[in-house]
Formats: sequence, C-alpha cells, structure tokens
Amino acid sequence: MSTSKLMLRGVADMVRHPLPQLLTLVTVCMVALLAGTGLLILHNVQAEVLKTQAQARFQVYWSASSNMTEVEGQWADLKRVPGVAEVSTFTPRAAMAELMRGLSAATPAPVAPPADNASMANATASNPNDFSWLEGENILPPTALVSFDIPAGEAPEPWMGRMYARLRGLAGVEKVTYNATQLNLATGWIALIQHAAWPALGFFALVVGLVVGNTLKLMMLARKDEVEILSLVGARPWFIRAPLFANGVVQGFAGGVLSLFCLKFLQSWLKSVLDVPPLFLKVQFLPAWQCLALVLATTCVAGLAAFIAARK
Amino acid sequence: MVHLDHINCILGGAHALTDVSLHVERGEFVFLTGPSGAGKTTLLRVLYGDLKPKNGAATVAGVDLMRLKSSGLPALRRKVAVVFQDFKVLPERTVFENISIALEVRGVPTASIDRRVRAVIRALDLEERSYAPCRELSGGEQQRVAIARSMVVNPELILADEPTGNLDSDLSRHLIELFKQFNTYGTTVIMATHNRDVLSWAPEARQVHIVRGQVTLPTAEVLSGAESVAARRGA
Ligand SMILES: Nc1ncnc2c1ncn2[C@@H]1O[C@H](COP(=O)(O)OP(=O)(O)OP(=O)(O)O)[C@@H](O)[C@H]1O
Ligand SMILES: [Mg+2]
Repeated sequence: MSTSKLMLRGVADMVRHPLPQLLTLVTVCMVALLAGTGLLILHNVQAEVLKTQAQARFQVYWSASSNMTEVEGQWADLKRVPGVAEVSTFTPRAAMAELMRGLSAATPAPVAPPADNASMANATASNPNDFSWLEGENILPPTALVSFDIPAGEAPEPWMGRMYARLRGLAGVEKVTYNATQLNLATGWIALIQHAAWPALGFFALVVGLVVGNTLKLMMLARKDEVEILSLVGARPWFIRAPLFANGVVQGFAGGVLSLFCLKFLQSWLKSVLDVPPLFLKVQFLPAWQCLALVLATTCVAGLAAFIAARK
Repeated sequence: MVHLDHINCILGGAHALTDVSLHVERGEFVFLTGPSGAGKTTLLRVLYGDLKPKNGAATVAGVDLMRLKSSGLPALRRKVAVVFQDFKVLPERTVFENISIALEVRGVPTASIDRRVRAVIRALDLEERSYAPCRELSGGEQQRVAIARSMVVNPELILADEPTGNLDSDLSRHLIELFKQFNTYGTTVIMATHNRDVLSWAPEARQVHIVRGQVTLPTAEVLSGAESVAARRGA
C-alpha cells in the first residue's frame, strides 16, 4: 500500500478515537496560542521601542547670532549625510511659533461666557494664551533635530560619539545634545528580546512535542491491539507509523491554525482595551511570516513527536 | 520447517523452557500438549519471533531466530501466521477489513486482495457477516475471522495457541477440520492444546508433550491425561 494511501487512512482513522483527538487538538492549540501570545508581545514591544526610541536623535543648537543663510546651507548638507532618517529644522521664528503652540496647548483655554463682539475682542487682548509678545525679542537660536538610523553592524555608542563630534564641529554650532540613555535602553530591549526569543521558541517546540507525543502515546495505547495485530501479520514499521505520523501532522497543523484564530481574537480584544487614553497602544497582529512560522513549527514538531511516539 | 536445538528461555527469572529440541518437517501437523503452565505458549512465542531464546540454535522457515533483528521480524511473520485463543481481531473493523489487513501489509494489489479475501470468507462460511464489525460477531465467528486472516496469506507455517479454547465442541471440530484441510495443501501446523477431544480429531498428528518447560521423550513419557486418551482413540 502506498505511503500516501497509508497517511490518508491515518487521517480517516482519527474519527475512530474522537475524544483523545479532540483533547490533543485543544492542547496543541493552547500551547501554540501561548507561544503566539509571546510572539505577539515581543512583536509589539519591539515595534513600539523601534518606533519611539531606536533612532539616534541629535538636537543641534547654533548660536543665536548665526548667519541664517549659512545655517540653512549647513542644514541642506546635513540632509545628505548617510544614515539620516529625518531632519527637522527650526529657524528662530519657527522655533518661536513651535514654542508658542506648545505653551498654549499646555495652558487650558479659559471658558469664556458667551458674549457680544466687543467683549470678545476685549478678551482676546488679555488672553493668557497669547504669547505674541515674546516675538519681538526673539532670543531663540536656530536648531535642528537630526534623526539617524544607526547603520547595521555599528555599535551605537562609539558611533554616536563620532557623530556628536562631527556635529559639534560644524561652524556656528554651540551645543549638541543626544538621546544616549534612551537609545541604550532601546537597543538593550531589542537585544534582550532577540536573545529571549530563541530559548522561548525552543521551549515552545519542546512543550508541543511532549504534549503531542504523549497524547499520541496514549492514543496508541488505545490502538495497542491494532499495532500488535499489524506487527503479528508482518507489517513493516513504516506501515504502522505512517498513519500515526499523518495523524500528528494533521493535529499540529489544525492546532496551529486554530491558535492563530484565537490569537487574532485576543489581539482584537487587547487592542480595544489598550488603545485608550493614556496608553494609546495599538496592538498589532503578527506579521504574515510569523503566523506562517508558528503554524509550520507546530506542524513539524507535532509530526516529529508522532513519529518518535510511534516507535516501539 | 522448525529446527530447535537445546534452546533455553528464561521468563521472570524462572526457566520457562529448558533444553528444548524440536524438529518439524514441512507439511507436518504437530500438537503441543502438556499441563497448564508447561510452556506451550512460550514455545510458540519463540517460533514467531516474539521471544528470543537465551541460547541454543533455532531456525524457523529458514530464518535464524538467534540472529533475528527487529528489522527481520516482518519477513518471519509473513511466513508464519498465528492464531490465538482470544482471537485478536479488531472489534471496530469489519470481517472483510480484519482479513484483508494481512494482505495489505504485504502490498498485495487491491483487486487481488478482494478476490482472495472473498474466497476465504466463503470457505469459512462468513459470507453473510462480511461487512459486520467484528464486535457484533459471536466468539466462534470471531475465531473463524482470525483463522481466515492466517489462512488468506498462504503461510508456510501456522501456529495456533488453543484456537478452540473458547468454543463449543461442534465448532471446535469444524475448525480442526479446517486446519487439517489446510495442512493437506502443504501448510505446516503447530497447535497447542490441552483439549483431549481436539487431539482425537486429528489422530494422525504428531504429539509433542511438554512438562515444566521440557519436551518429554516418548520413551520416558508417562501416558496420562490428554496423551493417554489420544493414544487410545488413535489406536
Ligand atoms: N511474561 C512472563 N513473565 C514471567 N513468567 C512467565 C511469563 N509468561 C509465562 N510465564 C511462565 O512461564 C511458564 C510457561 O508459561 P506458558 O504460558 O508457556 O504456559 P502454557 O503451557 O501456555 O500454559 P496454558 O496451558 O495455561 O496456556 C509458566 O510457569 C508461566 O508462569
Ligand atoms: Mg498458553
């Protein structure tokens, strides 16, 4: 009998022992869901960290007395430095506008009682949110916020030191600050995640393997008579094992896919719970390749476990 | 067909077979007799490769049992069919499936399986139950399924361990006739039994008496119990 036919028979035979099959499926699904949840957390933490902090950001201050044409030339040069992700520049005027916007946002708007036009104009004059008086004596220097993606393979710290020296050396630059601690924290997080991911995945594979292997062992106990009879009439090991192997593969695949549905459900729920003030955490679902990897890993591990469990 | 020379088997610390020698030629019909616990089942287990002798020399159907590895077991089992007292049929599968399984593991083409299984089912008078699951069958019918499964593959040697132990006298006789018929076509049969009637139904068969794990020599044989009855009826 051909291998494919044997495997099909193994799958068809699954209905003969519905309860242990169902229990295995639920268990595989739960373990895969657990692993998926881990992946989901890692993925979202990483996304969040990358989004907010993994860039090197330099705030460059020129002296207030700098020649603006010269400074603007330097800005244009900055944009061409390799690795630059973004350059936001502020002329003294723009900086002032930004500052005023910030200040007025921070001060709650007074609740003015409805009144006629005259009193309205009056209110504007004494509006505490009006910082236009600052404008006359602008003491703010031209500044630039330069964000870099640190080139791959570079250690962040020395690289930032060199970039600092370079920016500090620009003509007219008075002060440069950068986000060293935050960046260290972020890269630390990512390194931790990347280091934790492999042992965690290994652990997951082991648990799925043990669970499927043991459940199949139990099921083989239920099919002990059949295995005994097959061996008595001269079945080769593969004839006995192929159906069980197919059984394990189907269990792994079904459990993996089912767990993805559960995970999607969990993610939607988390999103609705966490995307509220003050968190505004948009929990994302796993990228396609990770979903695929999860199902594939579960399938492979379950198949392997079944294969080993089916050995005498 | 069977050549055992001075084999010893130890089970659970005790000698289950002691210095057993047995030679059975192709086409013979042999009864293994002896009291309960004598070692009949143990000897049969040796013959189908379920138990390895501790020492001695053992060859069955051309297979050297002393050097048999687990990878060689299927080859032996394809030449040697076994029938048990407790049938060992799969209750959830049909009569047809239970019998065809022996051909399937040998990779016999489906059409050929169909033909051969039908023929055996007819010979054993199971036609009406062909597609009934075996759990719905009586003990006698289940035993016939087990015998059908062993016969359908045309084995060189059939080992039967108390195949009639659970059956009434009429049915037992019918089954022994089947074994005899099969034996006349050339299959060697070795059957363990302590049923005197069974022995009397095949008087021409050789009897090998086992007591406490040892084959007792005919000269030293104390004719008693089963043997004496058989001897009287055979004479
Ligand atoms: N698995 C085992 N472990 C330990 N001892 C065993 C085992 N199987 C059998 N024995 C012992 O070996 C001896 C022979 O047993 P065996 O089953 O061969 O007897 P038997 O002749 O078939 O008896 P019966 O007619 O009752 O079936 C007995 O003393 C039995 O207790
Ligand atoms: Mg016995």
